[in-house]
Amino acid sequence: MNAMRILVRFKVTPDYEALREADWAAGEGDCSDRSGAAEADARAGSGVASGVETRYVPRILDCFDESALEMALRMRDATASDGVPVDLGAISVGGREVEPHLKTLQALGYERATRVHVDAGLDFAPTVTASIIARYVQETNKTDLLMLGCRNGPDDAGTLPFLVAEELGWPCVTQVTEVMVLSDDRVRVAHMVDDGLLRVTVRLPCVLGVGNAVVARLRVPTLTARLARREAHIEHVQTSDLGIDVVSGLAGESYVLTGLEVVRRDRSGTIIGGQTPREKAQTLFDSHLKSLMGKL
Amino acid sequence: MRSLVVLDGTVGTADRQARALGAFLRDGSTGHPAAETLVFFSDDRDMGRLVEQAPTRGVRLVKTAERRPDAIVDILSAAARDAENQLFIFTGGYSGTELATRLAHRTGGTVMTDALSIEIGPERLTCRRPVYSNHMVGSFELAARPWCVSIDVSWDDEAAAARREHVVLSSTDETGAAGGPDETPFEDLELVEPPPTGDLEQSRFLVVAGAGAGSRDGVERIAAAARRMGAEFAVSRPVAMSAWAPMDRLIGVSGTRTAPELCIVAGASGAPALYWGIEKAGFIAAIDLDERAPIAKSADAVILDDGVAVIEELAEIIAPKRE
Ligand SMILES: Cc1cc2nc3c(=O)[nH]c(=O)nc-3n(C[C@H](O)[C@H](O)[C@H](O)COP(=O)(O)OP(=O)(O)OC[C@H]3O[C@@H](n4cnc5c(N)ncnc54)[C@H](O)[C@@H]3O)c2cc1C
Repeated sequence: MNAMRILVRFKVTPDYEALREADWAAGEGDCSDRSGAAEADARAGSGVASGVETRYVPRILDCFDESALEMALRMRDATASDGVPVDLGAISVGGREVEPHLKTLQALGYERATRVHVDAGLDFAPTVTASIIARYVQETNKTDLLMLGCRNGPDDAGTLPFLVAEELGWPCVTQVTEVMVLSDDRVRVAHMVDDGLLRVTVRLPCVLGVGNAVVARLRVPTLTARLARREAHIEHVQTSDLGIDVVSGLAGESYVLTGLEVVRRDRSGTIIGGQTPREKAQTLFDSHLKSLMGKL
Repeated sequence: MRSLVVLDGTVGTADRQARALGAFLRDGSTGHPAAETLVFFSDDRDMGRLVEQAPTRGVRLVKTAERRPDAIVDILSAAARDAENQLFIFTGGYSGTELATRLAHRTGGTVMTDALSIEIGPERLTCRRPVYSNHMVGSFELAARPWCVSIDVSWDDEAAAARREHVVLSSTDETGAAGGPDETPFEDLELVEPPPTGDLEQSRFLVVAGAGAGSRDGVERIAAAARRMGAEFAVSRPVAMSAWAPMDRLIGVSGTRTAPELCIVAGASGAPALYWGIEKAGFIAAIDLDERAPIAKSADAVILDDGVAVIEELAEIIAPKRE
């Protein structure tokens, strides 16, 4: 039986929850002067591409991509004893920040680890990202199943899985919460739709966008596994190798970010005093909740 | 220039789509050209009801296969060849994202999802939508047409349900267009009704547990206290992802949006992606150990203490009064 070749695309992002209010406020304003060349410059290599300074914030795996990476490992584990052999690859488009993650993935059993070098910020350029991924898949011709998170920050548009699928001419299922390998060319998928949960069998090749799967954390490799794979090769690809010109791609992106505003959510934030949980609960009840009880 | 509003009546959410699209047309968009609704349906029995719900006067009916977004995209791509049809508006949610994205890709147009508002100009369309996990709202300018816009899921308004005259402009049957079973890569579709989240949407008194509950036991103790108080119970993403509570309890941009009179949040930091799910609450009380957690600023009242302990004390006080 042939192996099912899975490629998981992931993004390394700043941990937005680590930014302070002042950081967001500083990013507010007009971005329209960043058009054309200025935009490409601003995007190039810096963390302020889109107006919010994120250079000093820790980098993390995008949470939906992290689910996709772990889900693929579980598919491999589930088929290890009797089923279809699963061959895993991981790819990320970005700067040096992706390399430690690729190393970790290699230690976890991802055979192929690829970084497509891009210094420009592709944060608000999903069509450029989609064409890079799609072109890589076509050029290498080693992928039966492409998995990725359903949405990535900061753009949060949720369009990437569909855009890649359209580029490839492959079917696409998003909001995936479970995948089961049936044979080397079929998977059974559960995914959320607006009116419920749909189970469907999909013939490969296809693109799966991972949603709220209860597979939140990527497992941690053992030290032995890390050491064993220390010398493993990371494939480095230039966008020019794929025939893609990122600068003109960015200039041709059909939408531009022109402004950013902070969403203000402040309420009074009155601190309720007291010594013990009991006292505080009583004070909260007396001062605020009692009067609300009638409305509940 | 014309805009086409797309109502997908082949799935079970048509009522909600119609209300949301109606509210968006009324309050979310300016500079609107003449709009018509394209209604997709697969069962003739739904036709009359769908026409009545359409958010515009002019309605075009298209019969198509059930749950085949690919077929709908093909039909829309053909409609986009008419140069008059420059703006397509889709409902919020998963299906709107899919249809808008695929249509834009096939037609060389521009996709914008989760629109909070749009301004339509002669050359450009400006759109506001959430970015940075809901920390910010971005303004975007769209150039290439057709503009394919799906609206934010926060658009919904009972009052926007259509109460107008309708004219059916055309009616076509495209059921053959989807291709037979041999042509589809999808087989054995089975719709599983998920546990309903309606109790959260309707909730007047909601208790939310976050990762600060510390463990499955902590989450369960908060859930039990909520039950004693007669409150509905919801959780943040990390809690659901750790399987400390079922996924249908998730609130926020990836889960349910609620609007209770009273919301008590225990051990959730108040990240915007979660807060979106409770921002319509009348009164928010938060319990957190950290006074610098964002929730401390975005709540009305804050208790700095252990979440589980305080919720259990509150249950002692409130439960007898709710019997
Ligand atoms: C695209 C995207 C979509 C997302 N969608 C959602 C969504 O729909 N819903 C959602 O919830 N999240 C969502 N998230 C994640 C979100 O950004 C936050 O990471 C998440 O809400 C944090 O959950 P939390 O508050 O429970 O955990 P944390 O942020 O870890 O907060 C825990 C809080 O508990 C406090 N605490 C610790 N111990 C105690 C104690 N003993 N007693 C009281 N307090 C204590 C801490 O001080 C802290 O404030 C999404 C993220 C992304 C990127």
